[in-house]
Amino acid sequence: MENHSLFDKEEVGQEVVFSVSEYIEFLNLKIKPFEVKIVGEVGQVQFGPTGHVYFSLKDEKGGAMINCIIWKSSYRTYGIALKEGMKIAAVGRSEIYAPSGRLSFVARMISLAGEGALKKEYDRIKALLEKEGIFAEEKKRPLPRYPHKIGVITSRQGAVIADFLNNLGKFGFNVRMIDSRVEGQEAVSDLLASIKSFRKKDIEVLVVMRGGGSMESMMAFNNELLVREIATFPCPVIAGIGHHKDVPLAALAADAMVSTPTAAANLLGESWQKAALLLERSQRQIISSYERTLNSSNMLLQRSLSKIKELHSRIIGQYREMENNLRLFLQKIDQGLAAARIEIKNNFGRSCSSFSSMLKAAVRQLEYAQKTTALNDPERQLKLGYSIASCKGKILRSVAGASEGEEMDLRLSDGAISSEIKKVKKDV
Amino acid sequence: METKKETKNNLNGNLKKLAEITAWFDDQKEVDVEEGLKKVKEAVSLIKSSRERLKEVENEFEEIKKEIDLDEGKESEEKEVEF
Repeated sequence: MENHSLFDKEEVGQEVVFSVSEYIEFLNLKIKPFEVKIVGEVGQVQFGPTGHVYFSLKDEKGGAMINCIIWKSSYRTYGIALKEGMKIAAVGRSEIYAPSGRLSFVARMISLAGEGALKKEYDRIKALLEKEGIFAEEKKRPLPRYPHKIGVITSRQGAVIADFLNNLGKFGFNVRMIDSRVEGQEAVSDLLASIKSFRKKDIEVLVVMRGGGSMESMMAFNNELLVREIATFPCPVIAGIGHHKDVPLAALAADAMVSTPTAAANLLGESWQKAALLLERSQRQIISSYERTLNSSNMLLQRSLSKIKELHSRIIGQYREMENNLRLFLQKIDQGLAAARIEIKNNFGRSCSSFSSMLKAAVRQLEYAQKTTALNDPERQLKLGYSIASCKGKILRSVAGASEGEEMDLRLSDGAISSEIKKVKKDV
Repeated sequence: METKKETKNNLNGNLKKLAEITAWFDDQKEVDVEEGLKKVKEAVSLIKSSRERLKEVENEFEEIKKEIDLDEGKESEEKEVEF
């Protein structure tokens, strides 16, 4: 091959002679830089051994046709099952494959063309995923309470992120955002890469947002792969996607679905707001409960105090009554004593004179008795010459008590005589 | 300084304890004044610390790059296979 620059020769205006490979290279240099979107009807479709898809795209009317290739990963990403007769739009670049000289359009992205086709595909995927239970309510996870670390996927352009951040309550959220395309089929790979990036990050909630738009502009959010990624994301997902009639499938698969970025921000702040309200309510309840306790205790104290006062008055009253009674009683005693004193005094006087009389009488009686005693004193009789005879210790009052031969004692005034009874004579 | 996770756990814990205190008052037929005062003091402390945590704290915002799967780029070098 001649060693020359193709462009140099062109610029200089010289006749250019290429080798075949040079010419193919020249053509590829010209056509490859241009990424275009072509719309056509799918013709023959073939799946290569490596999974890449080879198909033809032709005008609906007219005979123009172009061979197309879409790599396996892209084909899987866009989730469109190519079929003959399907009308699609393909974005990509053309190139000529040197060994065969064949022109191929390498589609980077394919999408269904026409709202009707989009709706049909939407319904198909929706039915498929519904059957699998992807949208089931039981699968929805509750948002964590007091979330802190938030992941956001949205476009840096537009008002969505600004609205979201402005309405996010100041609860110390840590928000990390990945800028992603959100418009049209082009957004699918960006959104998928963003979600996969967040899978490796430490976040508590993922928020995916975009504003409203047509079904075509929102088609990325109906992509089957994207929906499955959202459904299997490790933490709860909030979809804040504006829509009109058909709810985007990504929103149906999310754990929470709202239509605006403001609503998404409010949802994140809800538990924090509730915490503040809960605190207020707890405070009111506890304070009022304790106030009731104190009031109840206070009333009990008041009642007790009244009762005590009442009892105290009663006791005092009774005491005074008793005191009064005692006083009266003591007065009576006092009076009684005084009267007794007087009576005693009087009685004593009377008693003294009576006693004196009695004493005198007693003295007289004693004197009389003395006299009588003196008169009757046996010693006096003895002194008069009388004697007291006794026999065997017994005083003889009669001759009957004496027997001849017995010993008899005679007591005289100045002594005693012991004698023997010689004879007993009784007076007739 | 308390980490955010500790903040969340403390707030959760505080609210739970407050709910227990409220329930305690509701369950008592006759509230003992001394015991009730202890509970009120505890509640006040919990509410005060929770309010501190709920005070306005500025949010942090950071834009990060998405990680691109390098394997995807290789396919652009795939050779077309004749079919």
